[in-house]
Amino acid sequence: MTILVVLIPVALGLGLIGLAAFFWTLHSGQYEDLAGDAERILFDDDTPLIPARKTTLLPSPGGDMPATIAEDRTPS
Amino acid sequence: MIASLTRDDRDAAVLITTLGVAIGLLMTAVGWGDPLAVHGVIVMVFCGGLLFLVARNLNAPLPGNDRLASYYDDPTRVGVLLALTWAVVGMVMGVWVASLLAWPDLRFDAAWSSFGRLRPVHTSGVIFGFGGNALIATSFHIMQRTSRARLPGQIAPWFVLLGFNLFCIIAASGYLMGVTQSKEYAEPEWYADIWLVVVWVAYFTLYIRTLARRNEPHIYVANWYYLAFILVMAVLHIVDNLAVPVSFSGVKSYSAFAGVQDAMIQWWYGHNAVAFFLTSGFLGMLYYFLPKRAERPIYSYRLSILSFWGITFFYIWVGSHHLLYTALPQWVQTLGVTFSVMLLVPSWASAGNALMTLNGAWHKVRDDATLRFMMVAAVFYGLSTFEGSFLALPPVNSLSHYTDWTIGHVHSGAMGWVALISFGSIYALTPVLWRREAMYSAKAVEWHFWLALSGTVIYVFAMWNSGLTQGLMWRTYAEGGTLRYSFLDSLVAMHGYYIARAFGGLLFLIGAMIALWNVVMTILRVPVLVPALDYPTESEAFEPAVPAE
Amino acid sequence: MRADVCVDERGAGSIRFSVANLRCGGCVATVEHALRARTDVAAARVNLTLRQLVITLPRPDTDLDPIIGSMAALGFPVTPVASVGASGMAADGAQEASVSKGLIRALAVAGFGAANIMALSVGSWAGAEGITRTTFHWLSAAIAVPVVLYSGRPFFLSAWSALRGGRVNMDVPIALAVGLTLLLSLFEMLSGGAHVFFDAAVTLLFFLLAGRTLDHLMRDRARSAVTGLARLAPRGAHVCQPDGGLVWTPIDRVEPGAVVAIGPGERIPVDCCIIDGMTDLDRALVTGESVFVPARPGDSLEAGTLNLTGAIAARVLRPASESFLAQIIAMQGEAETTRGHYVRIADRAARLYAPFVHIAALLTFVGWLVATDGDWRRALFVAISVLIITCPCALGLAVPVAHVVAAGKLLRMGVLMKDGSALERLADIDGAVFDKTGTLTTGAPMIAAGPIAPADSAGAMALAMASNHPAARAIARYLDCKPGMIADAIEVPGDGIEACVDGKRARLGRAGWVGEITTVPAAMDGPVFGFAGGPAVQFELSETLRQGAHAAVATLRAGGLAIAILSGDAAPRVGRVATTLGVREAVANAKPADKIAWLEQRRGDGRRVLMVGDGLNDAPALAAAHVSMAPASASDAGRTAADFILLREGLDGVPEAWLTARATARVVRQNFIAAFAYNIVTIPLAVAGMVTPLMAALAMSASSIIVVANALRLNGGARPGASGA
Repeated sequence: MTILVVLIPVALGLGLIGLAAFFWTLHSGQYEDLAGDAERILFDDDTPLIPARKTTLLPSPGGDMPATIAEDRTPS
Repeated sequence: MIASLTRDDRDAAVLITTLGVAIGLLMTAVGWGDPLAVHGVIVMVFCGGLLFLVARNLNAPLPGNDRLASYYDDPTRVGVLLALTWAVVGMVMGVWVASLLAWPDLRFDAAWSSFGRLRPVHTSGVIFGFGGNALIATSFHIMQRTSRARLPGQIAPWFVLLGFNLFCIIAASGYLMGVTQSKEYAEPEWYADIWLVVVWVAYFTLYIRTLARRNEPHIYVANWYYLAFILVMAVLHIVDNLAVPVSFSGVKSYSAFAGVQDAMIQWWYGHNAVAFFLTSGFLGMLYYFLPKRAERPIYSYRLSILSFWGITFFYIWVGSHHLLYTALPQWVQTLGVTFSVMLLVPSWASAGNALMTLNGAWHKVRDDATLRFMMVAAVFYGLSTFEGSFLALPPVNSLSHYTDWTIGHVHSGAMGWVALISFGSIYALTPVLWRREAMYSAKAVEWHFWLALSGTVIYVFAMWNSGLTQGLMWRTYAEGGTLRYSFLDSLVAMHGYYIARAFGGLLFLIGAMIALWNVVMTILRVPVLVPALDYPTESEAFEPAVPAE
Repeated sequence: MRADVCVDERGAGSIRFSVANLRCGGCVATVEHALRARTDVAAARVNLTLRQLVITLPRPDTDLDPIIGSMAALGFPVTPVASVGASGMAADGAQEASVSKGLIRALAVAGFGAANIMALSVGSWAGAEGITRTTFHWLSAAIAVPVVLYSGRPFFLSAWSALRGGRVNMDVPIALAVGLTLLLSLFEMLSGGAHVFFDAAVTLLFFLLAGRTLDHLMRDRARSAVTGLARLAPRGAHVCQPDGGLVWTPIDRVEPGAVVAIGPGERIPVDCCIIDGMTDLDRALVTGESVFVPARPGDSLEAGTLNLTGAIAARVLRPASESFLAQIIAMQGEAETTRGHYVRIADRAARLYAPFVHIAALLTFVGWLVATDGDWRRALFVAISVLIITCPCALGLAVPVAHVVAAGKLLRMGVLMKDGSALERLADIDGAVFDKTGTLTTGAPMIAAGPIAPADSAGAMALAMASNHPAARAIARYLDCKPGMIADAIEVPGDGIEACVDGKRARLGRAGWVGEITTVPAAMDGPVFGFAGGPAVQFELSETLRQGAHAAVATLRAGGLAIAILSGDAAPRVGRVATTLGVREAVANAKPADKIAWLEQRRGDGRRVLMVGDGLNDAPALAAAHVSMAPASASDAGRTAADFILLREGLDGVPEAWLTARATARVVRQNFIAAFAYNIVTIPLAVAGMVTPLMAALAMSASSIIVVANALRLNGGARPGASGA
């Protein structure tokens, strides 16, 4: 089964990527509020935050990327 | 749609499509006299058509920056329509090949219409065309909504969606010309495979870029399922399709592996395609649209995360159960069987989690056919994963393998689980995407549900019966120790079941056609709902995501 | 409150609040939306699991009062939670949380290793041969060695420190089994042997880590829930300045001799002496007395007392660190040490078990060495099988799993459990003692009897409705009739309320004060009402029993427990409650030290008593009792001292927790029996050399699954739906 020379490293590599991803999720606090996070997708139909508030749209210099929205409060 | 592209976007679109036309031209020139040239023409027409569309509107008014305050849904919309179109195409082919088995005359004596050429059009059409487009479209929707952020650019999503469809078209047209490397679910030849890698890398990058600009600190579990689907499929696709082209001017290539090694690689790919294409991604769909539609959070969010890690690990070694009683070393077979059985635990955890979510909302399931699609999908997911583990047991496998039971198992998963969850998600998604109050016809959704369910049940029962009959006939010995039945005897015994199967498939196809009609009518006829509450949060610079620590 | 604001390096402030009535996703959306719409909030995020809210402020000195006010107006009163590092308890919490994260990481690594090595070893055992097998062995070793070194640390470190201290704990056989298996496998591999057991070593680690991680997570959850409960104790005081202004000062910076201003409805922040103003005090949480005490200049007040009616100015007598509260906490610390060192059941088992396992393994080794004429490899091999098969998985996994399941069930019933040892202690109580005020009763007064004449009723009703005093509200609730016409109402803090009712002067209040204008018989002590010149009528105060008090006492008594009441209140009131509930043993006028003495005496008799109490005065007793519970409305000190916290209004949680504890103890016992039975069967096989380490590991996994499944049975019969936490 020489093919395992390919398959085992691939499987281990994927496993290590998974392990690294898990470490990252743990580190970045992805599991701090599972009850709330399960609920949050249910209200992603937000009230129209942007139209409701005094917002001005800045021209985006670099094409599409910076969806910058300036408004009358101090950025932190 | 072009109107929402910026100047830079339009320039990039022109550049990419022109490049595509050039590549098509090159393929045509180099591969003259070979099917490669036909594919060159297809690439040219596809990219040329897109180039024409963009060029015609090149100087249309540019969009304002207010677009940035909303989600980018154009590719999702096109993706949903493409998915349904492919569903109809793939299922028409399915009904055709099913009928061919019952009435072989339906071939009309053409080379392109032989069973061996039509069947991959059916499998690729439904798996990649329907399933793939549904996955891409829903992932664009889910990654934006759960991240509360707009897609990072406007060209990358189009590149992914249209590029993937170009791959599907090349694949399907190639099969009809006899272009295939004879690997189940990986039939397309080397040039199509390379193209898919390019598209897939773009898809993965797009996903990561969207997550990177998220305004919601938490990454919802559905995203993990989609990410696993994208990442693992990339690796599987690359490894399984390692091949040496005979020449760069022709379609033919030879696999880098040979004999049983190639078989092992192929089924390692084949079963993981089931795991990460037909399961992981669609579970992502389930974990988003089911709670959304039922308007209640998933029963155990913790369990959904645990079963994610369980499924991602256990699936990887399951593939060899496709090769029981073959030249594959015994221990590799045992390994596949062991992991197939263990896989049942995370699979049932997911199915149970979905059903428990509905516990307490059964009145919604009763009244809402869309939610019922998802509920039945979860039930079929549980059933077919159990059947899968069961069929992987060597004694069962000795009866079931090479019989129609396998076909029945695949279709209980593909129709009952994958297709039903996709239809349910599309029905939930369409009104949101096009800002409509509801689907055009709730009654049509209801009809579709019952057609799809009865079609699946008829199909699966026909195949169970025919598979068992086949298996038993093939192993029945006469008194003298010879086989009691010839192969032809078993074939004759199948005839009734094959008619039933074609009928079940036809019901399912009619359902899919109703779905396409219903979605189109929703877009055309249902009045637009005043843009409701569906916007991303402002960019992170002004709305710092609070790290949950 | 200002002290709770954390300032990050970018100059933005953030503050963490506890929000008690967050219930569902809808509340999360409401709160976050309301806050995001404000310009003085940079970001807001709710944690539904912890029921907490983190607000990021644009500047560290943003005024918090309007934010808090708007939250209260929205129906979500918030209280600040001590920021991490600001108090010892929170720092402990952070440290514990990082221990849990470390354990989860170790578990994930062990899971990754176990799964991959298992895949390789299934291949080996199913017949892979020659170069393939050798490669698999090397690969397994390459995975196993780093995995064991990383994931095994908690066990190795704990075993090492135990051995250095001359003790043997559960981790010693674990560390030995894992370490020896790994070393022997490496040796086998290097010498080209056919069997290696990396899988056994790593699987064992995975299962043991799973148990340990569950245990830690359970305790973390309880801890954060406790810190999340609203704080009752004031954390600062308004200090009067020489120029007449008031300055909010953190409590530890209020100097003796300073003058503090305390409004009605506030709690007394430090021990002090009134210099100006009159008021009524509710001392229930401090002393357990349920009467409202009038106070006037010259009276001294204990920190924690609730100021009911009047605004007062008071001179600080002692620094906060020497207040009544501080003395109570000191007493509580002493009481905790007298509780004795309760040894958890798993540790008790381990003390018997560990030496037995080591001796068995050693004897096996020696026996095989002799029997095989010095084939030490074979002997070691068998000895390791014995170690693995006897590895205390049932002790390491089954007990925490049963406790986690029970804790989840209790939480759904509205009972928060602090750790597993509390559950074990609760299971073997033989008596229960209740505090009265605030525990058996709600602390809010009720009227048992009042005037009969309609004119008196109407007059008293009119006066009662004009006052906010708890007794007046109780009278209004009791009378529930049409009030008379009222004019010129004056409330005299400490005495009562006076007004013209239907043209006649009337007073409602303290007997002596009402007696100034009416004739009051000497025997009256409750609130009294009378028209000027007329005879006075009396309202007899009694207390409202907490919902479920009857059922709780009845269930516990039916379970064979001796029930008693131990109260700081006066004998007649204690007696009344005892009679109503049918409790025979009732002790009144008990001071904190008396309560401890009473419990000590019971302990001396070998009794194990559950104490249920809420007040500051109960805190030392809660710590001294065998096991203790407190309602969520209890004082900070009480909640810290108690093992269980009742999150719902009623007392139903007391018998439910007790029954759950007993069911859990039963399951744990069954698990032990199952584990020992399994050992009795397998140890002889292992000693006889008929078990390979892989079989041992598989058998151990199977026994682990059985005990986990058994523990899950505890979930049955839990009330579904409503989560009480």
